[in-house]
Amino acid sequence: MARRQFDLPFANDGSGRFLPWMIALMVYLASLATVAALTTREVVESWNAGLEDTATVEIAPGPDDAATDGLVARAMAVLRNTPGVAAADPVPIDEIGRLLEPWLGPDAARENLPIPRLIDVRFDPGAVIDVAALSRALLAAVPSARFDSHGLWLDRLTALGDSVQLAALVIVVLIALAAGATVVFATRAGLAVHAKLIELMHLIGSRDSYIARQFQFHAMSLALRGGVVGVLIGALTLGALTVMWRPIQEAVLPDLTIGATALVALALLPLLAAAIATLTARITVMRALKQMT
Amino acid sequence: MVRFQGVAMRYANGPEVLKDVTFHLEAGSYHFLTGPSGAGKSSLLRLMYLAHRASRGTVKVFGHDIAATPRRLLPGLRRRVGVVFQDFRLLDHLSARDNVALTLRIAGVREDTIRAHVAELLSWVGLGDRLDATPATLSDGEKQRVAIARAVIGRPSLLLADEPTGSIDELQGMRILRLFEELNRIGTTVVVATHDQRLIARFNHRVLRLADGQFSVERPTNLSGI
Repeated sequence: MARRQFDLPFANDGSGRFLPWMIALMVYLASLATVAALTTREVVESWNAGLEDTATVEIAPGPDDAATDGLVARAMAVLRNTPGVAAADPVPIDEIGRLLEPWLGPDAARENLPIPRLIDVRFDPGAVIDVAALSRALLAAVPSARFDSHGLWLDRLTALGDSVQLAALVIVVLIALAAGATVVFATRAGLAVHAKLIELMHLIGSRDSYIARQFQFHAMSLALRGGVVGVLIGALTLGALTVMWRPIQEAVLPDLTIGATALVALALLPLLAAAIATLTARITVMRALKQMT
Repeated sequence: MVRFQGVAMRYANGPEVLKDVTFHLEAGSYHFLTGPSGAGKSSLLRLMYLAHRASRGTVKVFGHDIAATPRRLLPGLRRRVGVVFQDFRLLDHLSARDNVALTLRIAGVREDTIRAHVAELLSWVGLGDRLDATPATLSDGEKQRVAIARAVIGRPSLLLADEPTGSIDELQGMRILRLFEELNRIGTTVVVATHDQRLIARFNHRVLRLADGQFSVERPTNLSGI
């Protein structure tokens, strides 16, 4: 005898018909929020790691290339004589042109445009640098120099990253609450539809937990189905966004590829949805049945 | 087994459908419960199978004062009561086999035990070839037999049947009542609600008679001539 999955006829009632679609939508939104939070964190960490112990010196162009080269050489001399500076490398003019290519076109570096020069500076790890003194020394040698330690920019970027993560977390929590509320309404509807059968099951000796198990497995099954659909659509959306994002990313942004942590989080979302649905259905049914004889 | 003392019952805020009912069913007894339609037979049974609480008086089942029994103990008591409902109350989406098996599943019996016992009992009530039929495809008589099988599969200590022969022919009715007698012989207390006086006259059992919410107990000797 094949064991039926449910004693209550859930397949024939409309109480849970929309639940998988609601859960799919919520898991879809949660997948976008989760990936946004995790990717933002990875990007900020990557930027932090890339820019830690570094600085950039920007030198406004002189009247001609020779004059500009002279300004760069004076700035290099200051940097090399500063304790704690491990390396200072002028960025080749072609590289600067490539960075400006999205705005000025491919031949920017060769068209005698007054392009500022850049010097990449790397400090010894852990070295304590008097940024103000270095900045003053550079200005004394090259009045058009601008020293950028990235600190302010990194602080703002980190704050932005934290805000995005917090917003994403709040969104995911709200989605979880909404999913729980949806399951509560669907379960209550199911209890109303099956009230007579539930009474019968009580009369032939069923405990509340037996009846609750029927509802919780039903809710789990629907939520798991909806969750898988939602996460698949989410993955497709993220894949499409990654493809659309790539040209911009190559020019100005670090790698935004979805990392392993985000993939694991995506895979866990349907399970989380199923767990929320299971627990919510059980609590709802147990509370409702306590009111019955 | 079952003791009623000054019991009254009402539905919600309606009038009392039972008034001052007092009786005692001894373990292993067999009673018919009779009275005109609307006399309160089904209501009395509802109190006995713990579907309803008395509005006053004391109902004791298996020694438990039901009004004072914690809710968590009710499933255990209900499993000791088999009920044949007048309207069968089968689950339409389940096969005859699964309807009968439900009682045992709820009690946590192993599937292999359920499989063997259900098939045997359904064969005994003449439904061996309708195991997988759903109620929608069964006649009223067949539904009645499934309902009876569901009530007795758990070998209840107390069997309550509400008009169990109302939907089946006389031969089947007699067969079912003989089954109840067999269960009674092995210790099951049986109460059969019926308004069929001819049926009652064929058996030598006590009669609980309800009329206008009032109650009386008649011994078999009182029934001669019915």
